[in-house]
Amino acid sequence: METSFALTGNGYVIVAADTTAARSIVKMKIDEDKIKTLSSHLLMAHSGEPGDTIQFAEYVERNIRLFQIRNNYALRPSAAASWIRRSLAQSLRSRHPYAVNLLLGGYDTAEDQPHLYWIDYLGTSTEVPFGAHGYGSYFALSLLDRYHDPNATLEEGLATLRRCVDEVSKRLVVSPGKYKVKVVDKDGTREIEF
Amino acid sequence: MSIMQYNGGSVIAMVGKDCVAIASDLRLGNQALGISSNFQKIFSVTDRIYLGLPGLATDVTTLRELFRYRVNMYTIKEEREIQPETFAHLVSSTLYEHRFGPYFIEPVMAGLSKTPSGSFKPFIAATDLIGCLNFAKDFVVAGTASEKLYGVAEGLWESDLEPEDLFETISQTMLNAVDRDAYSGWGVVVHVITKDKVVTRTLKGRMD
Amino acid sequence: MANTGGGAYSYSLTVFSPSGKLVQIEHALAAVSQGTTSLGIKASNGIVIATEKKTSSILIDDLMLEKVAVVCPNIGIVYSGMGPDFRVLITRARKSAQAYWKMYGEYPPTRILTQEIANVMQQATQSGGVRPYGVSLLVAGWDGTRGQQLFQVDPSGSFWAWKASAIGKNMVNAKTFLEKRYNDDISLEDAIHTALLTLKEGFEGQMTEKTIEIGIISVPSTAEREEPTSAATGRPKATFRKLTEEEIKDYLAL
Repeated sequence: METSFALTGNGYVIVAADTTAARSIVKMKIDEDKIKTLSSHLLMAHSGEPGDTIQFAEYVERNIRLFQIRNNYALRPSAAASWIRRSLAQSLRSRHPYAVNLLLGGYDTAEDQPHLYWIDYLGTSTEVPFGAHGYGSYFALSLLDRYHDPNATLEEGLATLRRCVDEVSKRLVVSPGKYKVKVVDKDGTREIEF
Repeated sequence: MSIMQYNGGSVIAMVGKDCVAIASDLRLGNQALGISSNFQKIFSVTDRIYLGLPGLATDVTTLRELFRYRVNMYTIKEEREIQPETFAHLVSSTLYEHRFGPYFIEPVMAGLSKTPSGSFKPFIAATDLIGCLNFAKDFVVAGTASEKLYGVAEGLWESDLEPEDLFETISQTMLNAVDRDAYSGWGVVVHVITKDKVVTRTLKGRMD
Repeated sequence: MANTGGGAYSYSLTVFSPSGKLVQIEHALAAVSQGTTSLGIKASNGIVIATEKKTSSILIDDLMLEKVAVVCPNIGIVYSGMGPDFRVLITRARKSAQAYWKMYGEYPPTRILTQEIANVMQQATQSGGVRPYGVSLLVAGWDGTRGQQLFQVDPSGSFWAWKASAIGKNMVNAKTFLEKRYNDDISLEDAIHTALLTLKEGFEGQMTEKTIEIGIISVPSTAEREEPTSAATGRPKATFRKLTEEEIKDYLAL
C-alpha cells in the first residue's frame, strides 16, 4: 500500500515515496513519481485517492508557480504550507473534498534552514522533524523516534531512511517494492538513486 | 469514535488572585498514532487574553486564523484592544454562525479584563462546539482529557492562589490528568497571565 | 436636462462637474438647510440634542411625530431635513446596533455606529438608481472607551465630532449663538438651558413641550459603570433617553 516518508537533517530534507500506482488489488504501474518539485527549494510528496492526488498536486504546483511569476520570488516553505493547508481545509467542507495527504519538504533560503510539514487531507498541518503517511508510518515512525538525528549528514539520513524502507518491506503484508527519493538543501532539489 | 477525539488534546484554564492561567498538552495524533509532540493549541489574542482550541486539528488552525483576522479587524476599526468578555461573545457568535456544520473545537479563554476603575479582573470562559458560553468562577476544562481534568482540578484548585501557586496547581492538574488519557500528553505548555506580564513555561511530560 | 441649476451634471450622481462638485449632493444639503433646526451640545457630564417639532396644520396629531430617536441604550439621533429619509436611516442604525450586539454582546461605541450610518449615506452617493439621503444627523452617544461624543453626519457621508453644532434652517445663526455661549466645562443642566435658548432664537410661533423634542446622554459614575446592567431586568442601563413632555415643560418654565 502507499507509503511516504520524510526526514530533516543537517541542512536538508529527504522526501521518499513509493512508486506503485495500484487499482484495487492490481499494480497498474511501478514507476510513478509521487514527489512534485513545486519550486527551486520545495518538494511535495502526495498520496491518497488516485486522481485527487494528481489533480490537487498540479493545482498546487501551478498556483505556486503563478505566485512566483506574479511576485518575482518564491513562497517560503512555511508560507507554502499555510496556503496548501488552507486549500485542503476549504476543500474538506466543500461538496467534493480532495482526499490527499502530503509531506512538504523545503529549504528556506532566507533563514538557511530546512523545514518539513506533515499535512493530511483534513487540512491538519504541523511542522515535524520527520513524518510519514500510509500504513508504512506505523512502522517507520517508531524507527525514526529511535534513529532520527536533526544534525545527521545526508549519508546518515539516507541510512535511517533505508532502515524505514527495509522494515516496511519486512513487516508490512502489502509493502511497496520501489521508492523514489528526493532531497532538498541549499543547492535546490534533486533526485537520489536509492 | 467521535471526530472530537480524532486528533486528541486538552486545555484547562484557572482563576487565581489577580491572575489567570491556561494550559494545554502538546500532542497531535491520528487516533492512537502520535504525529507531533509540539502542536500548540493555545494562542495569544491580546497581551491579556489567551485562547485554547482543543478539538479537530484542522479546525484549530482554521479558527486560530479566523479569530486573528476578526480581532485584527476589531482592533483597527475600533481603535482599541478587545476585552475578554467581548472576545468571548465574538467566539460564541463565530461558532454559532456554523450551527449546522460546526467547527469541531471547544474553545477555552483566559484573560484579565479592565474594570471602569482601572484595575484588572480575572476572566475565564469556555464554549461548546456551537458556541454555548460557560463563564466559570474557578476553572474550565475541554478536550479528550476533560473528565480527568475535572477530577484533578476539583481536588487541587483553591480560591485566591498567587501566580506561582496557580502555576503549580494548573501544572499538576494538567500533567496528572493527561497521564490518564491516551489521546493527550506528550508535553504541556502553561501560561500564567498577570496584569503586567505573561509567564509561559513548557513542561516535560511522559512520552508514552 | 439642460438649463437647470447644475446644468448637465445635476442629474447623474456618479458624474463630477468640471469644477469637481457632485451637484446632487449639494442639492441634498440644500434640502437639509430647509429643514427645521436641530442642535446638540456636549457637556462635561452629558450631551443634549434638541429640535423644533413643527406641524403644518393644527389638525395634525403630533403624537406620532418623532424627531429625536433612540438607536440603542447608549445612542440617540436627531435630524434636520426629510422625515421619510430619516426613518429609513434610523431603521438601519437600529439594525446595525442589534447586529453589533449579537456579535459582541454589547452595544456599539458612538463612533462605530456613526460610521455605519455614514457608510449607508455614502453608498447613496455612489450607487446607481438612488438619490442621496436628504438629511443631516446629530448622533449623541456614550461608551466606556471614549465617553460622551456628539457627531454630525451629512448627506455626502462625511462626519465630524463636535462640542456643539446646529443643522437645518437656522444653523448659521444657531452656531454663532452656540459659539458665544459654549465653554468646555458646561454642565448638562446648563447645556439643556443653552439648547433651549438657542432654539428660541428664530423659533416661529410658541415654543412649548409639544413643539420641541429633547434627548440627553447622562454620563454614568464609576460606581454605576461597575454595574452596567440592571439587576432587575439583566438589560444594559440606558445612558441616552428622551425627555418627557413634563420634563421639557419644567425646563421651559425656568
